[in-house]
Amino acid sequence: MSRTGANRRRLVFGTGVIVLAVLLPLYAGEYTVTTFTRIIYFGFLALSVGMLVGQAGMVSLTQTAFFGLSGYVIGLLGTERGMPFPLRDLIAIGAVLITALVFGLIAMRTHQIVFLMITLAFGQICWAFAQQNTSLLHGWAGIRGIRPPTILGVNFGRTSNFYWAALFIIAIGIYTLRRLIHSPFGLALNGIRENPRRMSALGYPVYWIRVASFLVAALYAGVGGILAAYSTGIVTPTTMQLSRTIWVLLTVILGGASYFWGPIVGTIIAVWLDVLISQGTARYNTVIGFIFLMTVLFLPGGVLSIAEFFRDRANNPLLDRIFRLKSGEKNK
Amino acid sequence: MYTKFLILILNGLTQAAIFFVLGSGLTLAFGLMRVMNLSHGAFYLLGGYIGYSVVHATHNWPLALVAGSLSIALLGFLFERTMLVRVRGGDLPETLLTIALSMIIADVSLAIWGGHPLTLNLPAYLNPPIRILGITYPGFRFILMGLSVLIAFSLWLILYRTKLGASVRAGVDDRETASALGVNVDKIYSFVFALSALLVGVAGVLGGSYLQLSPGSDTTILTYSLVIIILGGMGSLLGTVVSSLILGQLLSFGLAYAPQYSYFLIFVPMGVVLAIRPQGLFGRQV
Repeated sequence: MSRTGANRRRLVFGTGVIVLAVLLPLYAGEYTVTTFTRIIYFGFLALSVGMLVGQAGMVSLTQTAFFGLSGYVIGLLGTERGMPFPLRDLIAIGAVLITALVFGLIAMRTHQIVFLMITLAFGQICWAFAQQNTSLLHGWAGIRGIRPPTILGVNFGRTSNFYWAALFIIAIGIYTLRRLIHSPFGLALNGIRENPRRMSALGYPVYWIRVASFLVAALYAGVGGILAAYSTGIVTPTTMQLSRTIWVLLTVILGGASYFWGPIVGTIIAVWLDVLISQGTARYNTVIGFIFLMTVLFLPGGVLSIAEFFRDRANNPLLDRIFRLKSGEKNK
Repeated sequence: MYTKFLILILNGLTQAAIFFVLGSGLTLAFGLMRVMNLSHGAFYLLGGYIGYSVVHATHNWPLALVAGSLSIALLGFLFERTMLVRVRGGDLPETLLTIALSMIIADVSLAIWGGHPLTLNLPAYLNPPIRILGITYPGFRFILMGLSVLIAFSLWLILYRTKLGASVRAGVDDRETASALGVNVDKIYSFVFALSALLVGVAGVLGGSYLQLSPGSDTTILTYSLVIIILGGMGSLLGTVVSSLILGQLLSFGLAYAPQYSYFLIFVPMGVVLAIRPQGLFGRQV
C-alpha cells in the first residue's frame, strides 16, 4: 500500500465521519442525538484520562472529580444564583484549574502506582464532600434544573442545537490536543513517560511539566463536566463516583490508551454498549466488567491495536508500549 | 463529658481494629508484589455477604467467619493464578484487572443479596454487655479488638519467625536476588495474595457484624484501605497499626462533632503526610 493511498483513504474516511456527525440531527432521532451528546461529554473526560495515561504515563483517578466540580459550579452559580452564561462557565473552569493545581502539586511528588492511589483518594475526597455536604451542595439530591443558555437568540436547550455546539467544542478540543501533543511540550511529556530521570538530567523541569499536563487534562474534564451538566440538567455526587471514574479509565483502555483516537473510539463503543446492554439485561455492570477483563487480558492495546496487528503481524511493540513501560522503568 | 469521650475513644478503637485487618493484607500484597488490589473493597463486601448467608442459614457466627474468609482466600488465590499471573510485571494491567473484577463482584453481589443494607446477626454469647470504667459497652467490640491484636501478632510471627516469612521479606527487599537464591517467588506471590484476600474476608465478616453491608460499601472500604496504607507507608505492618489507630479516632470523633465532614476529615492526615513525606509514616521509598 502506497503512502499517498493510505493518506487519501484516511482523508476520505475522516471527511465522511465529519459529514455524518454534523448532519446527525437531520437523519437520526432525538434519542440518538442525545446519546451522541453523551459520547461528546464523556469523550472530553476520556480525552482527559487518555492524555494522562497515553502521553504522560500517569493513571489518574481524579478526573471525574473535575468533571463533577465544574458541573456543581455551574449549578451553584447559574441555576441557584442566576449568574449569566459566559461568566459562570469561566468561573467553573477557573475552579477546576485551581483545584487541579493544588492536587497536582501534591500528587506529582509521587509516581506510578502511588500516584494512582493518591488520585483515587483525591477523587473520593471530592465525592465525599459533595455527598456529605447538605448545606451548600444538597448531599445526595444534588442540583437540578440546570439549563443551557440562549446565545444571540439561539436556544441551546434544544437537543439538536446543543449537539452542534458540543460537537463544535469537542472539534476544537481535539484539534488543540493534537497540536499540543506534537508540540515541544507534548514531546517532553512523552520523554518523561519513557524515562523521567534522563529528561531530568537533560534539564527538563520534569515536575512542572507533569503538573502542567495535569492542568491541561483537568481543563478537558472540566469542559466535559459543563457540557454534561447542561445536557442532563442535573449534577449529583453520582456524577463523580468511583464507578464512573473506573468506567472512564476502562473505556480509554478499551479504545487503546496509546492511540490519539483511542479515548474517543473507546467512548463511542462503551456508551453504545451501555445503551444496548442496559436494554437487554439488568446485570450490565457484570457484562461490562467482563468485557474489560477480556480486553486487558487479550487485547491490552485496545480496539485500535487490532488494525495495527493486521498491518504488522510481527510482534508489535506498540501493543505493550504503554503496558510494559512501567516495569521496564523499574529495571533500568 | 467523660463518658462521651470514653465511648468515642472505644468506638475509635473498634474502627481501628477493622481498619488494621483491612489494611494489613493490602499493604503486604503491595509491599511484595507491587500489585495494588483495587478489588479489596469488593472482596470485603463479598466476604461479609457470604458470612451473612451462612449466619442466616446456620445461626453459627464462628462458622460464618471461617466460611467468609476462606471463600475470599480461595477467590483471591484463583484470581491470582489464572489472571494476574498473565500480566505480571505491568502495573497498569494488573491494576485494571483488579478494577474489572471489582465491578463484576459488586454487580453479582447486588444481584444475589439485593440493594438493602444487611447486618450479620450476632449470637448473644458473643455480644455480652460489658461494664467498664463506669460505662456499658457491647462485648463484641472487645472481641473485635482482641481478634485484631491476635491477627497483628500472628502476622508478625509469620513474617519474622518463620522461613516462609523470611522468604516473603526477601522477596519484598529484592525480588530478583531472592529468586536467584532459590526462593520460589511465584509460590510466595500466590501465598501472599491469598493471605491478603483471607484477611479482607475476615474484615468483611467482622465489619458486617457491627456496620452495615450494602452496595457502595465496596468503594468506601477500598478508599479507607488506601488511605490507611498510604498514611502508614506501603508494605509496613507497623505503619498500618499506627495509621489505623489515628484514622479510627479521627473517624469516631469526626462522626460525633462534624458529621457533615467525617469522611472528608480522614483524608487530612494523608494530605499532610504526603506533602511532607510521600512514602508515608513508616514506608520506604518506592
